[in-house]
Amino acid sequence: MLTDTSRTAATETRRQRAIDALGLGVPVEQRRDERFDRITRLATTVFGTPMASITILDGTCAWFPSKQGFDAPLVPREETFCDRAQAADEVTIVPDASVDPDFAELPVVRDGGVRFYAGVPMHDQLGNVVGTFCLFDVMPRTLDSDQRQTLEDLAAWAEQELVASSEMMRAGQVQKAMLPASALEADGWHVEGVCLPALTVGGDLFDFALTDDVIHIGLGDVMGKGTGAALIGAGVRAAVRSTHPAVVSGADLGSTTYRVARTLQGDLDRGGAFVTLFQCAIDVADGTVRYVDAGAGLCVVARTDGTVERLVSSDRPIGILEEDTWTEHRTHLAPGDRMLIFSDGLFDLLEDQREWWREVGSLVARHADPAGVLEAVRDLATALVSLDDVTAVAVYRRPEGAA
Amino acid sequence: MIEFDVRTTSDNIGVVVPRGRLNMVAARELRERLTGLVEAGTTRIVVDLAETTFLDSSALGALVAGLKTARQAGGDLRIARPTESVLTVFKLTNLDKVLRPRDDVESAFHG
Repeated sequence: MLTDTSRTAATETRRQRAIDALGLGVPVEQRRDERFDRITRLATTVFGTPMASITILDGTCAWFPSKQGFDAPLVPREETFCDRAQAADEVTIVPDASVDPDFAELPVVRDGGVRFYAGVPMHDQLGNVVGTFCLFDVMPRTLDSDQRQTLEDLAAWAEQELVASSEMMRAGQVQKAMLPASALEADGWHVEGVCLPALTVGGDLFDFALTDDVIHIGLGDVMGKGTGAALIGAGVRAAVRSTHPAVVSGADLGSTTYRVARTLQGDLDRGGAFVTLFQCAIDVADGTVRYVDAGAGLCVVARTDGTVERLVSSDRPIGILEEDTWTEHRTHLAPGDRMLIFSDGLFDLLEDQREWWREVGSLVARHADPAGVLEAVRDLATALVSLDDVTAVAVYRRPEGAA
Repeated sequence: MIEFDVRTTSDNIGVVVPRGRLNMVAARELRERLTGLVEAGTTRIVVDLAETTFLDSSALGALVAGLKTARQAGGDLRIARPTESVLTVFKLTNLDKVLRPRDDVESAFHG
């Protein structure tokens, strides 16, 4: 059937590379994915077939990101209809496989009772075949031209989900990798953060680092969500990082924020966006906290004596006015004091939007370590299905005498 | 869900009334409405927030973008009558100083 062997080998190499690039290889743990399942489910309903699948060929195996009406985690590639359909790179319809010499010997036909098959190849942006959208029936049948069009429409939808979502997943992984890899623990201080994008990627970011006994923390929120916000967010993080050496050596946070704003101005103007950004520099030896707040307004300090304070400023977000300035403020964290910096995604989830700091204060007071309070934030975001990115950074200073 | 009332007064002031929750989805529409008004030559706009029950950062973004667009065209954008919870969002971000809330729609450009 395949005459030009060298051309086929080249196509196969390219195809496998596309599978790898999109991260569509056989996953370690297969999970149902509703985005795909709703398309295959619809296919079985529309066509009245007992089985439908999205099939991916990876190396010598075929696996199914979605399947209806059968259960097979992996199938040897050469035993599938899809192997043939993908090689042909065209819509393949087999009205009755049991009498078709090309397919009659496949185990699913010989032993599995499959008679009818229809498969539409799905492509990546470069035109490589990365999978097949398939229908199976145990009765012989045909598709008229309307049905064939519907099948191709469903396949196009599945292709969009498969290719675009794989791209987005990777973008999400890249963005996650841009957050601090682990919590920071030094000299009685414990700093940890969490960032939960509402979509695959988001416009929230946080960063922290300890240099020369100064912990520099930043938490930013780019207006909006999704890819656009994430792209600007990457720029915000880079701009803040570039000021880190100055911040830890004692430079005024107002002027470092001004530098960040100058760096971002053009991008924000073109995108019609703005950014809220809270930053602080903590002296680990004496607990002095210098902070600057560009329009975030969401930082709470819970003291050992039970009082709850908000860190406030009257400065605007970055990107609102062309010429703007920001002012450094000071506070102090004594042993046992705790601080939570967060984005408005968490604010939106609070019950009392007027005296919200009390709720945040008691949330912080209830949890003995940053991991605990961040877990509570995560639970809140999950339980109330946040529509916005939720980000928080917790700073705990160990109480006097504690180990 | 959200609804938008958009009208233009006799002295060519655009009045936009969002009814309901101004979240990410609604913000996109608000932004389009505001841009639409400016492009049609109505560069002075009042957004009446009396019936806006919720407003998030995307909606703030839409308002700020509308403000920038209106000012570039020689006009301005003002907000009127925010509810207390919506006003909290403006105050947190200190945007109440940029978009100073007005007591009513009629005097937003004449007060």
